[in-house]
Amino acid sequence: MANVIFELKDVHFSYMGKYPALSGIDMTIDKGEKRAIIGANGSGKSTLLHLLDGLLFPGRGTITAFGKDVNERAFSDQAFSRDFRRRIGFLFQNPDVQLFCPSVKEEILFGPLALGEDKVETRRRFEQLIDTLGIEELLDRSPHQLSIGEKRKVAIASTLIIDPEVLLLDEPTAGLDPLTARHIIDLLVRENASGKTIITSTHDLHIVEEIADTVSVFSRDKKLVKSGPSLEILKDIELLQTHNLVHIHAHRHDGRSHVHSHEHPNHEHTH
Amino acid sequence: MASAYHSNFIETSINAAVSFLKESVFSDEYASKKGFLQSIDPRMKLATSAIFLLVVLFSGSITVIIYFYAVSLALAYLSKINLGFFLKRTWIFMPLFSIFIAIPALFSIFTPGETLTSFEVMGLHLIITRQGFFAASLFVMRVITSVSFVILLSITTRHFELLKVLRIFGVPQMFVMVLGMCYRYIYLFAQVIENTFVAIKSRAGTDLRYKSGRHVVAWNIASLWYRSYRLNEEVYNAMLSRGYDGESVIFNDLRMRLADWLWGLAVAVMCAVPIILKCKY
Ligand SMILES: Nc1ncnc2c1ncn2[C@@H]1O[C@H](COP(=O)(O)OP(=O)(O)OP(=O)(O)O)[C@@H](O)[C@H]1O
Ligand SMILES: [Mg+2]
Repeated sequence: MANVIFELKDVHFSYMGKYPALSGIDMTIDKGEKRAIIGANGSGKSTLLHLLDGLLFPGRGTITAFGKDVNERAFSDQAFSRDFRRRIGFLFQNPDVQLFCPSVKEEILFGPLALGEDKVETRRRFEQLIDTLGIEELLDRSPHQLSIGEKRKVAIASTLIIDPEVLLLDEPTAGLDPLTARHIIDLLVRENASGKTIITSTHDLHIVEEIADTVSVFSRDKKLVKSGPSLEILKDIELLQTHNLVHIHAHRHDGRSHVHSHEHPNHEHTH
Repeated sequence: MASAYHSNFIETSINAAVSFLKESVFSDEYASKKGFLQSIDPRMKLATSAIFLLVVLFSGSITVIIYFYAVSLALAYLSKINLGFFLKRTWIFMPLFSIFIAIPALFSIFTPGETLTSFEVMGLHLIITRQGFFAASLFVMRVITSVSFVILLSITTRHFELLKVLRIFGVPQMFVMVLGMCYRYIYLFAQVIENTFVAIKSRAGTDLRYKSGRHVVAWNIASLWYRSYRLNEEVYNAMLSRGYDGESVIFNDLRMRLADWLWGLAVAVMCAVPIILKCKY
């Protein structure tokens, strides 16, 4: 069982006890996996990621991470809490929420400072990240005055800087221009190739095949309807149709090859 | 389009207020110029500003205060701040203070003493006393000079540096965080007002009716408070997610240079000048 990172058993969650957001989720996520969570608006994707990050806790059912139970009590143990935070990074859907420091530089360094990370190593990763993301000139700006895409890049930098084992990504490419989206996906895929587990919630079926080997589809009644290899799920038009994901997919069929028709031109530009 | 002019009145004045707010609170324009105060380490700048303020607030001599006012103007000049802009920013608060404090103080009812001049308004015999005149001018100069130093500090320093310095000086993280959030909300607030007007215009054309405009603004403000509540909760989650556990987190990359210490010394000398010249403080 050393390979299992998350294990969810019959997980239920509702906000304030009256707005259901997840119901009866069973799921296992392995180390090094690329997993996509897809589903219509309001199907519980973000809620699931909050639960995996130990920010919300199931009303019923259990979640284990790295073989340990994730519940409120566990987080009162500081050693557990630090270890957990260091190993899991969460990119929030709304970058406005994630950016709370007065300047971009402080924002990116918040995590390592809070966790007491090694200074030299942090410095190295910092330089590397601002270079990869091209955010050098934003360092002295206020995060809330940036454009959505710039905010997202800063949020990505502040998540990646602690070098977590697991990345929870809530719609990482929403609001990004195609080239930037391309960069971000390449970056995430590289992180996965170097051993990180990446779990991405998205509506964008264009990116699913690249950022996931396994896809889990959530329904509007907040249930997990199907998990399977990404190619298999992407071919299942009927399934996608019933879960509001189809029109993007149909669009993809315009070309000859239904999977690569859109990604290829960009690939050639960036490499 | 004759009515457009009228209905635009609220819009123009609100827009003017918003852009004033943005310009004076959020603009980094002066903070990023290469002037004198901009080059001083923010810690030293905050400390020396505090000294100036204390001296001005506790000095009872109008000569000394005028001397410090001159110092603030010289500093503004050395920091490449447009003097017109600076004077406008500092004197703008004056009318409000004057009406409630300075003007009443002029008269014998509030400040008894020797008669300087007297006149009659609507059958009231009013006497301006010499003591009243001095009290009022002292008050006006003191307010203007203190406001000048505060504005100098705030427009030559980026706001995140100020917050950082507060942290370094030991102000609790939560307090500084709240200040930072206030700043964010004011920004958000200014933006909501601005966007609301753009949105109304794009839907209703320029002929904005006062009532409907007010309604939309009110609704937006209500939703802003709701949003800020949700935001707070989520921001806290985001902090937790990145390892925040209630311990304070300071990122200190400031370096004090010789020039900063020299400036500190210079301020001490400036404050000593009135004593050396045997002025009463
Ligand atoms: N703070 C909250 N309070 C109350 N209900 C909430 C809250 N956040 C989410 N919900 C509800 O929980 C359900 C799941 O929401 P969630 O944000 O997880 O969906 P999602 O799949 O991420 O949607 P989207 O694609 O729009 O991001 C929705 O029905 C939503 O209305
Ligand atoms: Mg979501």
